[in-house]
Amino acid sequence: MADVEFQYLDAGSPVVRERFNFGQFPVMLKTRRCHLQGADSQKLVSLKEEAAEMGGYFILNGLERVFRSVILPKQNYPMSMVRSSFRDRREGYTDKAVVIRCVRKDQSSVTLKLYYLLNGSVRLGFWLQGKEYLLPVGIVLKALVDTNDLEIFNHLTCCYDEKYKKEKGAVGSPLVSERVKIILAEVQDLSLTTRLQCLQHIGEHFQPVIDGLQSESYYAVAETVIRDYIFVHLNDNNDKFNLLIFMLQKLFSLVDHTSVSDNPDSLQNQEILLPGHLITIYLKEKLEDWLRKGKKLIQDEIENNGKKFDFFNLANIKKVMEKNPSKQIGTSIETMLKTGRLATQTGLDLQQRAGYTVQAERLNFLRFISFFRAVHRGASFAGLRTTSVRKLLPESWGFLCPVHTPDGEPCGLLNHMTSTCRVASYYDSRGNIRDFSKMRTSILRVLIGVGMIPSLPKLVKSGPPAVLSVLLDGRVVGVIPSSEIEKVVAHLRRLKVSAASVIPDDLEVGYVPLSLGGAYPGLYLFTSPPKFVRPVRNISLPSEESQNIELIGPFEQVFMEIRCPDGGDGGRRNAFPATHEEIHPTGMLSVVANLTPYSDHNQSPRNMYQCQMAKQTMGFSVQALKFRADQKLYHLQTPQTPIVRTNTYTKYSIDEYPTGTNAIVAVLAYTGYDMEDAMILNKSSVDRGMCHGQIYQTETIDLSDDGNKVDRGQKLFRRNKDAKSLHSVIDSDGLPYVGQMIHPGEPYCSIYDKTTNSWRTNSRKGSESVFVDYVAVDMKNSKNLPQKANIRFRHTRNPIIGDKFSSRHGQKGVCSQLWPDIDMPFSGVTGMRPDLIINPHAFPSRMTIAMLLESVAAKGGSLHGKFMDATPFANSVKKTNGDTGTDESKSLVDELGEMLRTCGFNYHGVEVLYSGVYGTELTCEIFIGPVYYQRLRHMVSDKFQVRSTGTMDQITRQPIKGRKRGGGIRFGEMERDSLLAHGAAYLLHDRLHTCSDYHVADVCSLCGSVLTATFIHPQKRAIREIGGLPPARAPKKVTCHACQTSKGMETVAMPYVFRYLAAELAAMNIKITLQLGDGATA
Amino acid sequence: MDGASYQRFPKVKIRELKDDYAKFELRDTDASMANALRRVMIAEVPTIAIDLVEIEVNSSVLNDEFIAHRLGLIPLTSERAMSMRFSRDCDACDGDGQCEFCSVEFHLRAKCHSDQTLDVTSKDLYSSDHSVVPVDFVDPAGYDSTDQQRGIIIVKLRRGQELRLRAIARKGIGKDHAKWSPAATVTFMYEPEIHINEDLMESLSLEEKQSWVESSPTKVFDIDPNTGQVYVVDAEAYTYDDEVIKKAEAMGKPGLVEIYAKEDSFIFTVESTGAIKASQLVLNAIEVLKQKLDAVRLSEDTVEADDQFGELGAHMRGG
Repeated sequence: MADVEFQYLDAGSPVVRERFNFGQFPVMLKTRRCHLQGADSQKLVSLKEEAAEMGGYFILNGLERVFRSVILPKQNYPMSMVRSSFRDRREGYTDKAVVIRCVRKDQSSVTLKLYYLLNGSVRLGFWLQGKEYLLPVGIVLKALVDTNDLEIFNHLTCCYDEKYKKEKGAVGSPLVSERVKIILAEVQDLSLTTRLQCLQHIGEHFQPVIDGLQSESYYAVAETVIRDYIFVHLNDNNDKFNLLIFMLQKLFSLVDHTSVSDNPDSLQNQEILLPGHLITIYLKEKLEDWLRKGKKLIQDEIENNGKKFDFFNLANIKKVMEKNPSKQIGTSIETMLKTGRLATQTGLDLQQRAGYTVQAERLNFLRFISFFRAVHRGASFAGLRTTSVRKLLPESWGFLCPVHTPDGEPCGLLNHMTSTCRVASYYDSRGNIRDFSKMRTSILRVLIGVGMIPSLPKLVKSGPPAVLSVLLDGRVVGVIPSSEIEKVVAHLRRLKVSAASVIPDDLEVGYVPLSLGGAYPGLYLFTSPPKFVRPVRNISLPSEESQNIELIGPFEQVFMEIRCPDGGDGGRRNAFPATHEEIHPTGMLSVVANLTPYSDHNQSPRNMYQCQMAKQTMGFSVQALKFRADQKLYHLQTPQTPIVRTNTYTKYSIDEYPTGTNAIVAVLAYTGYDMEDAMILNKSSVDRGMCHGQIYQTETIDLSDDGNKVDRGQKLFRRNKDAKSLHSVIDSDGLPYVGQMIHPGEPYCSIYDKTTNSWRTNSRKGSESVFVDYVAVDMKNSKNLPQKANIRFRHTRNPIIGDKFSSRHGQKGVCSQLWPDIDMPFSGVTGMRPDLIINPHAFPSRMTIAMLLESVAAKGGSLHGKFMDATPFANSVKKTNGDTGTDESKSLVDELGEMLRTCGFNYHGVEVLYSGVYGTELTCEIFIGPVYYQRLRHMVSDKFQVRSTGTMDQITRQPIKGRKRGGGIRFGEMERDSLLAHGAAYLLHDRLHTCSDYHVADVCSLCGSVLTATFIHPQKRAIREIGGLPPARAPKKVTCHACQTSKGMETVAMPYVFRYLAAELAAMNIKITLQLGDGATA
Repeated sequence: MDGASYQRFPKVKIRELKDDYAKFELRDTDASMANALRRVMIAEVPTIAIDLVEIEVNSSVLNDEFIAHRLGLIPLTSERAMSMRFSRDCDACDGDGQCEFCSVEFHLRAKCHSDQTLDVTSKDLYSSDHSVVPVDFVDPAGYDSTDQQRGIIIVKLRRGQELRLRAIARKGIGKDHAKWSPAATVTFMYEPEIHINEDLMESLSLEEKQSWVESSPTKVFDIDPNTGQVYVVDAEAYTYDDEVIKKAEAMGKPGLVEIYAKEDSFIFTVESTGAIKASQLVLNAIEVLKQKLDAVRLSEDTVEADDQFGELGAHMRGG
């Protein structure tokens, strides 16, 4: 894609525009630049794409890469923080600070910190070129606007008023004035009084550090510092001044304990990094780099060539600029997306440099969609020892799913957005770019209309509790008397939902009320995009207004009264009536968690496990399977739609990508083969196709890839005419026949090298026979003969002993037997035999009641021929909807039991079964019914490891490790311990010595060395060998090289590593001496 | 073994007989016999099913193994099965299924030329033996009867897709693979014996009787509208679920009803896949069972047994 570049020369000369090609830019699928944009499903299918392709990812090198969204601190909100690390900044610093991440319109940001010092003073800190610069706040205050000490004093102390001393919401304290005096005295000490002096002072310090301004005046440097580093989200210095005053007040209040610090780990103070924003700021930096480099090149040119170089000749400039490759910018963005790594000097005010993109695996649809819903806390937190960042905080209610987070290492750090949560962006719902400045002015107009006293031209000198400051996107726009504030908030919310108003529907109205030592009060309004929003119902509005769905953000949610069905009154009693209502309680769950039926009846960790396992399930992964060349693709042959499903299932049409089978599950201890989470599969069911599946695996052979440049094009796919044995597996084009079965070790493609006139074949690795599913040749980089081929293999993976299965309730198990159908218990009435038997012990401790409910519901559903709705919390919703009293008493179990009873089945879902082996009635009734089972991708065929003898390590002569190479499994220390404890000495010796590096070494008993033995080769062959007798140990003649005699030579059995150790130590000048003796004397 | 003879003479009374369904009583025998019969019907009565598929062209959406698996599961009329040879025992061929004693060849050629999806069904399979053909389903309910009977769908083809294959069907038993099982369902139940304690029953009010009768999920009991007497409508509807007994206990009337399972009479329900008729299935099962028992009888002379029964004899000895 070509881009336009402006160039202008100074002093009124005309602006010249030149075109530069900045290279290619990766296109996100289904965005505006993508040819798939707006394509309907029919067109998508004809383009060989998924019918339900959603886009949102990049394809780089044939891999699908998704952006991994990361949590960032909330932009333009001054956050008070207590962190012990602040103390280590420098001598005299306390652990308290107020931090603000200022974000420009283009999403680039600068974080500012206001540190509180032990002596009562305050420093303003920001990072510049890898170093933190700390400025006394007094200087900054004075440098921002023309002011005087009295004014600053008044501004800062105004929040303290004698009469409100201990009242609710009073944030000031008498100590503030003392601190202000110190701050002012600091400036005085430097004998800086006027604004100009302060600017000069700042400029003097920053002139050497700021790139490209070394020759500018101090004043200009200081102006740049203020523009580019201090409150970059504001353009006006008065605004900056007001915000600094506000932040100082907040800091002092934190120090005086009149307000508590904000929690940076809470979602309230967080937002999300979106792919577009990261690319924008990365691109901006790359462009800046390019310009800087171009400037340097021109400067160098002028210096080197002196007079000869005509600066005013555009052609010359262009020539110089060409040395600075502009196409790199496109490539650098591409590499960023390919690797997820930022190559940047400044760090872009981001916490991490790597891990911004991940590969979207299409294992199944749920896994795929989860990549787009995932939000990571940040890689830097993964290494943190503390667990506080992983905590599930109530602030994330409704935005991040409490269930859908992996257990183990990334637990609590990798979260998923709930199904209702959205992220506001620069585009509105109709895809138009939103004008934020227009929004802000209209909000301002509304605010002034309802009684806000605007801060411009001068900040009102008063503070809480009398008035509350209003911040709009980090700008102090005015104050509102605290008596009016509730009305203002309600008014804003009304305008938010009404379609006619200019107030955006996702405006965050963060009203922090006055409190006794709570959060610092104020009205914080946010319009800017990358923030979480979710819909709730506003019930305070008159009901005739049809539009009552309000989008709320995590910041405002904390201080809102939102009612949730079955949540009772949430402890608010009558004092704080609910103003809002959750649309449905399932809104707090992610898409995947929402699919677990009756999940409200499960023990909560089981739902978490299910979210894990749903993402590892073999399912119908893609529909355009034929046209894809994924490296590995799991595919279930005959998936089914679950009988018991939540309404989310239909909403997201998971039927397009189903992931399991309705299996008839009997819960009984039958043969003992279902112990400890093992499960017995009915062999006949498997014969008939239950859980059959395939793995599609693509291998790419690129002939131009290997070898150097000269060889390129010299290699061809071709079959050797003379090697007749190959003809049954390889076609005349050197590639395999489609449909052909290839056994392990068999060749599947043949390559001819023109230069060396040699043939080579590629052979199958692994231990499985595979089918050739598809062969594709890529003609892109070759003139007439293919240089690249994709060969897709198909592994059949029908269930065998050792494969893993799971229900939708975190109940996983391994198939332990494929049991004959006739030996399975059967029902006398229906003749039904179960497909699957699980052990009743799987239930008591895990408390997955929902699985039992699912079984009963599915049984009822299949008897009545209908799907069952298993949406969680349906019970509580029904009650609040005020249904008629008759239904009230009916519990879920009653409802389901009645369904069974009408069909002549037991109310509780149990049945009388007969032993398949004896034909006698089993002593108790068996719980049996259909349960949706998932086949997990962990299969023995990929995991089994066996070895008797095989490859050994070259150095240690011990068996090698690694399944791929036919290695063994380490018999480690703990295994050794257990054998010792059993007293199984012979077995231990067998494992650790005989089967490992058993070695008979020749040791010299005179010098005790293992290493000095040398062989004297016998001249003649032993006579006994000729006689056909088994060769005895070759009578080797060994002498000690050190002692020059063979007298003391003995043979000793030892691990070979010991000998190796002796050799290694010898290299370090350490000698190992063995003292030999027979067992009796030792 | 001394003189005592345990010989019994089981009786069979047929209640209902359709091509694919049979219901009969088996009396004067015990559970081991009944269950043996059930097991043999499911797993050891031989049928013919497609076992070897040679695919010439397959451009359909389903892969080769999938189609082969589907073909295998199509029931084929297997009246001949009992007299056929297992291809592993066949001396007339080397087991690749070319001979008429052990195998039947099928051909399938289908290509879609129109824009409409073409259903390739079991009707498109052409058999080399007219006695072994895919089971013809005649829908008794008349559902979809306006359309011509299309058989079992194997795969659907769109324009340009083609399927061409040769398949060999062989004799086999359900134990080896479920596709050879001739039985869809075989089940038996013990005939229940229900005694209502009339005296105790009369002590109940009509409402109590009503609720007791309704406690059974199946309709076993009813109340005579005239006399108000509880009587057994259908003893066999009882599923041994003990619901009525529990109900009686809950009402404080234990012993209101006594239900026993007759140890020596069974009610069998047999459903066939259509490969062989349900009646034939039962007869074949008895035949197979007899052969197996012969093997037991001859097991003293193992060599002779091996000669006569081949693998079956070895199997009976615990193979």
